[in-house]
Amino acid sequence: MAIAKAERLMNLALCLMNTRRPLSKRELRESVEAYREAWQSGSEDAFNRMFERDKDDLRELGLVIDVDENTLDGEAGYLARRDRNRLPEIALDAEEAAALSLAAKVWQQARLSGAASGALQKLRAAGVPFTEDAAEGRTALEPYIPVREAAFEPLLIAARDRRPVSFDYRKAGAALTEPRSVEPWALECWRGHWYLAGWDRDRGAVRVFRLSRITGKVRSRSAAFTAPVPEHVDVRAAVAAFAGEGATASATVRLRRGAGFPLRTKALGARQLDGDWDELEIPYGHGLGADLAEYGPDLVVLAPEELRADVIDRLRAVAGLPAQGLAVEGGVR
Amino acid sequence: MSNAIDQTRRMLSLVTYLRERPGAEVAEVARAFGISERELIADLNVLPMCGTSFRGGDLLDIDTDGERIWWHNVDDVAQPLRLAADEATALLVAARAVAGLPGLRERDRQALTRAVVKIENAAGESAEGSARVGVTFEAEGQVFADIDRALSEGRRIWLRYYSHGRGGMTEREVDPIRLLTEGHTYLDGWCRSSEDRRLFRLDRVAEIKVLDEPADPPRLEPRDLSQGLVNPGADDPEVVVEVGPAGRWVAEYYTHDLAEELPDGGLRITLRSSDPLGLRTLALRLGRDGRIVAPAPLAEQAKAAALAALAGYPEQP
Repeated sequence: MAIAKAERLMNLALCLMNTRRPLSKRELRESVEAYREAWQSGSEDAFNRMFERDKDDLRELGLVIDVDENTLDGEAGYLARRDRNRLPEIALDAEEAAALSLAAKVWQQARLSGAASGALQKLRAAGVPFTEDAAEGRTALEPYIPVREAAFEPLLIAARDRRPVSFDYRKAGAALTEPRSVEPWALECWRGHWYLAGWDRDRGAVRVFRLSRITGKVRSRSAAFTAPVPEHVDVRAAVAAFAGEGATASATVRLRRGAGFPLRTKALGARQLDGDWDELEIPYGHGLGADLAEYGPDLVVLAPEELRADVIDRLRAVAGLPAQGLAVEGGVR
Repeated sequence: MSNAIDQTRRMLSLVTYLRERPGAEVAEVARAFGISERELIADLNVLPMCGTSFRGGDLLDIDTDGERIWWHNVDDVAQPLRLAADEATALLVAARAVAGLPGLRERDRQALTRAVVKIENAAGESAEGSARVGVTFEAEGQVFADIDRALSEGRRIWLRYYSHGRGGMTEREVDPIRLLTEGHTYLDGWCRSSEDRRLFRLDRVAEIKVLDEPADPPRLEPRDLSQGLVNPGADDPEVVVEVGPAGRWVAEYYTHDLAEELPDGGLRITLRSSDPLGLRTLALRLGRDGRIVAPAPLAEQAKAAALAALAGYPEQP
């Protein structure tokens, strides 16, 4: 029976941590039974591939593996120095530990939830006092971070390693996808959706992408970034502007008393018109027409004129009436 | 494959943990590591196959009688290991996100903020990548704090709540079960008015009162959040929406059963809703970008609402 991968990785890790001098590939092959088997039953190649993959896996787990000249035979040798792999002293008290372990539960995504529990295990092994009765007096909250987009994991790794990526992307409202080539800077989850900010190589400009609009596979390239990465990347501000927040203009609407609570919470001003209607001044940003159409007969747009025309046009479409005036861009479906 | 990775990671911490605790109890160790006793025993079966020297022969002499664990040749290889980049990111992003939630108890916020600084220091360069991932949780701080208080005191609440689908305000009494956040924050509660379990989005709460009556929600299973918060029931009526390219967002915002590509770049989306008439707002929002195909009464209702709305614009014929 083939030796399980976890056992092989564990053996390699212990060998590398326990040696004082770099070990050559040949020495490792002879001391880890799974490698000996792979080499004997397969080929030099099979062993090499297995060894390279294992080394990468251990590095993913945080092990620093140095590659040094082996003094004995001049071959490359490997070792994981104790001092470079030790967790520095960390003095978390029980309250901090409890808050941290509640927060660490937010990840549903396999890679990060594995990493979060792995981190807590390392801290616990290092003596951090996690106690079970610490829920007393804590916020009664269950936070979680939704990650349903397949593009998340490859982008997470590419942003971490600063590797350019390419993917097919469907812009909002576009019928077709387009290939994009991006240097991924930062990922941000806002209102339950993930966004990527980065340098769009073909457009030579900063762009924000919504992960759910990435279709197909994200391909990572081994090349380096070409554009400088800014100190601070504000993905949220870019997304918020697109969502119509941070608007500079304002609009005036008539709203039925008791209706349109979300509009009332963001109104800049409000006054009573008569027994049934109020007049509200609201921020006017991208996408407001669609927001207002939702209120149906509870709302009438008073100004500006183009917003009024937009809402009328939307309502006519739902009512099954032809568009008025000039043809609407994009045409009638 | 990720199982082997997680198991390796766990076993590396396990040897460090066992080193300090001769005769540790199986049940206690499993709890500490957040795994089942079975998983722990599986780990303990692998460890004696692992050698600590490249010459071989120095196998870890770790054994268990099923209740306690003994390590007979304790080795100093078992030092606490530094955090990996993904580990630091997973902890730091989560802690920063929760610490930024409006309404969180101040004590929790301060504990998290202190923990973040300590983890950043201990993680060193592993923490660098964590700034490349951000998560924002939103909540209405005062509403959040009131619900949190009601939960900890086990009290019923009264809400004036905006129903997005129906467009109006409702008043309800709710027995809170817990607060959930996934971007927006929600109250998971037992609605006494509808005798049903409901989710209430905090930004739609217009008014809240913590009542004197004790909360008495029925015993309910925790929600399975892996598929998202809003999961229609299998028996809920079907709604079919056809959208053009500009309406494809519907598939991103609504949990659906089916999204079929249409020749014009649009989608035919089949979803289920416990309250199909509540989707009237969706039809109104879509405008020219899509239409409700079924059920017919919903399509009719949207059309009637649009005509009624147009009456507010006298320039309309």
